Amino acid sequence: MIRTLSAAALACAAFASPLAQADTGKLVLTGGISSIDGGAGGGLTPWAVIGSNATEGEIGVAAHISRLHTHDYRLTTYGAILGYRDRVEVSLAQQDFDAGAAVALNGIAPFGVTAGQHIKMDVLGLKVRVAGDAVLDSDTLMPQIAVGLEHKRTHPGSIASVLDFLGTRTSGTDLYVSATKLFLAQGVLLNATLRNTNANQNGLLGFGSAAPGRNSRSWQPELSAALLLRRDLAIGAEYRRKPNNLEALGRAAGLGDALHEDAWKDVFVAWAPTHNLSLTLAYVQLGRVIPGITANRKQSGAYLSAQAAF
Amino acid sequence: MKKLFCILALTLAAAAGAQTAPADPALYQTFGEKPGLVKLMDDFMLRLVADPRTGPHFKDVNQVHIKEELVEQFCQVTGGPCVYKGADMKTAHADLDIRKRDFNALVEVLQQSMDSQGIPFRAQNQLLAQLAYMHHDVITVR
Repeated sequence: MIRTLSAAALACAAFASPLAQADTGKLVLTGGISSIDGGAGGGLTPWAVIGSNATEGEIGVAAHISRLHTHDYRLTTYGAILGYRDRVEVSLAQQDFDAGAAVALNGIAPFGVTAGQHIKMDVLGLKVRVAGDAVLDSDTLMPQIAVGLEHKRTHPGSIASVLDFLGTRTSGTDLYVSATKLFLAQGVLLNATLRNTNANQNGLLGFGSAAPGRNSRSWQPELSAALLLRRDLAIGAEYRRKPNNLEALGRAAGLGDALHEDAWKDVFVAWAPTHNLSLTLAYVQLGRVIPGITANRKQSGAYLSAQAAF
Repeated sequence: MKKLFCILALTLAAAAGAQTAPADPALYQTFGEKPGLVKLMDDFMLRLVADPRTGPHFKDVNQVHIKEELVEQFCQVTGGPCVYKGADMKTAHADLDIRKRDFNALVEVLQQSMDSQGIPFRAQNQLLAQLAYMHHDVITVR
């Protein structure tokens, strides 16, 4: 479903000029890039900007693909964005998480995890800009503000037995509010997002937890800062705090901190070689991801993302 | 985490101070003072007319007059010894069909023009910060 829609969006993107406006009018890079959850923003977190190159009175599309390699895991995401009048954004994304390391869970209990198992997750995103203009309102501190949701469905394959054991659900919805401000004279962009979520590792390990883990939702801050070096080049850093719902359950089961979850961080460089293309390279630190089966390693590695926007 | 918030808050405060402050007169010098601005506007107008996005808005106007007004306005906002006496932005654009994409296109053409005059990126952004908020008055079709 997502694959078909993404392909359709890519096709639309390729032919956007004759179909829609001759030339959509956002300033370069001001639509952000596609986050791993599909919505426009930084790489790890949504911003208040509305994706695609469409500004007021226009409709635009964007499509992206990204890849993250850490020591024990691989994450591929692809997706598409529809931007409507710089007001509403609808996004679809699919994540494909190579969780081959999870086969080690069979050593804890007979979970029947298949070798080379991938976890897939679909994300449907909706975002509405409620106030402000992040780029042009240069005479005020008022940021651009948006509210959004990300509805996620996880397809864990043979890892389903593990998620059952943990008492996590395979679908959930994150709600967030984002504020983005470009300090134009300084070339500095700041974003703060506050997310209400019960997702474990963004939903790849389901939502909530059996007792004594935390099943309830919590508010988590996500922060981004970027510096414009040129019109087509920005560097920056992101921090995304995440809930640690499962650790208490792991402790109660005698697994110590085997299910601990850390914050995500990255430093990135984003480059727009043309008005319609952006490439982002990042060094991402996911912290510990099921440290009990990965020798307590912190999962860090390279992230590369490409986006076409019209 | 607290440290990160402090850094962000300080950056925000520093940026806020600069955001609302009038332009540093050094900016006027970076733009080559009056002769530099005249040269910039000559180039800018040629580009505005040539660009298919902005051309229709500029090809039939009194270009000499607009260039003079822009020199005065830019001289003032860059901290130069000028007072812009032309019409306010709302009145000047009231009868025109200007959408946000037109405003953004003009910004891009101005950026190209400043590039061609060798204006550093940081100075370009300092000038744009003094102009960008005028979108409230310049854009007539929301």
